[in-house]
Amino acid sequence: MVDLKKLTEAMGDLEEDIVVEIIDQVMEEGGGEAQAAVDACSEGMNIVGDRFADGEYFVSDLIYAGEIMTDAVQTLSSALGGDSKGGSSEKILLATVKDDLHDIGKNIVKSFFEAAGFEVVDLGIDVPHEKIVNTAKEQGIKIIALTGVLTLALDSMKACVEAFTAAGMRDDVKILIGGNPVSAEACEAMKADAWAHSPADSVNICKGWAGM
Amino acid sequence: MIVIGEKINGAVPKTGVAIANRDAEYIKELVRMQETAGVSYLDVCASTDADIEYEALCWLIDTVQEVNTIPLCVDSPDPEIILKVFPRVKEPGLINSISLEGNKCELLFPLLRDNPEWKAVALCSGGDVGVSYTAEQKAELAFKIIERAAEYGVTEDRLFLDLLIFDASTRNDTAIEFCKAIRMIKERYPNTIITGALSNVSFTLPVKKALNMAFLTLAMDAGLDSFIGDTTNRDLKALMLATNILIGKDKHCRKYTNAYRKGEIGPIKKD
Repeated sequence: MVDLKKLTEAMGDLEEDIVVEIIDQVMEEGGGEAQAAVDACSEGMNIVGDRFADGEYFVSDLIYAGEIMTDAVQTLSSALGGDSKGGSSEKILLATVKDDLHDIGKNIVKSFFEAAGFEVVDLGIDVPHEKIVNTAKEQGIKIIALTGVLTLALDSMKACVEAFTAAGMRDDVKILIGGNPVSAEACEAMKADAWAHSPADSVNICKGWAGM
Repeated sequence: MIVIGEKINGAVPKTGVAIANRDAEYIKELVRMQETAGVSYLDVCASTDADIEYEALCWLIDTVQEVNTIPLCVDSPDPEIILKVFPRVKEPGLINSISLEGNKCELLFPLLRDNPEWKAVALCSGGDVGVSYTAEQKAELAFKIIERAAEYGVTEDRLFLDLLIFDASTRNDTAIEFCKAIRMIKERYPNTIITGALSNVSFTLPVKKALNMAFLTLAMDAGLDSFIGDTTNRDLKALMLATNILIGKDKHCRKYTNAYRKGEIGPIKKD
């Protein structure tokens, strides 16, 4: 038996050595607690998100947290079963919108989505609207997370929302916009469903949509 | 960065007075202050007249050892005095200093050989060169002293090579030569430890902090491992941690952000 509470705290405190030690212990004991360990880490990621929102943690801490989480899941993967994240788990389509090349925020929020148990379909940067709409259609994805850093990204986000409407899919999907330029006003104006500046908010919004 | 705290030195006027008056509380406060600031070694140097130095240094070492939790750097220009006070020191630390001058090598390298947990500051002076100003002179003396140490079985990773920092007011090229020397020495002996007395650079100039900080940044980029100085100065500490990020020695800025969260750098937080 491993101390899952300690694992959550270590993840929240970004104590990588302790996280690695506990995760290794899970595997040494046969991996029976692998899923519980992932859940404990996810809870730790919530702490990280909250501390970022409070100004205690910085962007570099979020990147570090993402790395610790990714490594932990990697170590546990064989005990989780090859396709543990596929199939039943809720998908999120994530993309930095057209004409914007920034991927740091996108990658951070991706690690938080994954930590929360979502399967993330990451289309990368500078993604054309058609590709986003088509991928959502082909894979039946209901949650669309659009990010960007440039104010220009707001135009692309708006165009992307309109592309969903034009494809007759607007009522089938929930669209979250994130990144520096987004705001309540921008969200309202482009008729997106929600907006977020922090990974913690992004996760909470998507969890609400997924009924998690 | 291995910081050797410089404050317990009789050459610092207030410390000199405290030593003369045997003001133990003042000295102990210097220990606490420097330990809180995160120094790795406490330099202890009497800097008195030669005839009273032994007695003063004994008192200083005993006083510091009533409170210290980090090792001492036993500092005297006289190798005989270092040998005499050595048995009083409870935990292994640093000897400051060895150089090619006089009989320092013959007296102090055997001490290091017989006490493998101890390390030493080795000054790049003496020999045929005298005082080393240019990078080539510094490197030549560094190589010589490393070779002398090897004769006694003392490896270069036990030497803090003090490459001599000069005052920029009379030697504008002090940082250029110092940094060039670091690279020359590290190329041949990557495991040796490079150090220097940081505040020398600003001697006689105003706004000393700016010069000390600029020198530290440049020298860290060149590969400086250590310095003798004062990290009770918050700005210097912040600069040191910031430079570590920029030279790729602080992944995810962890040391920097942790120091900030602990209130060790940045504006002093009001409760």
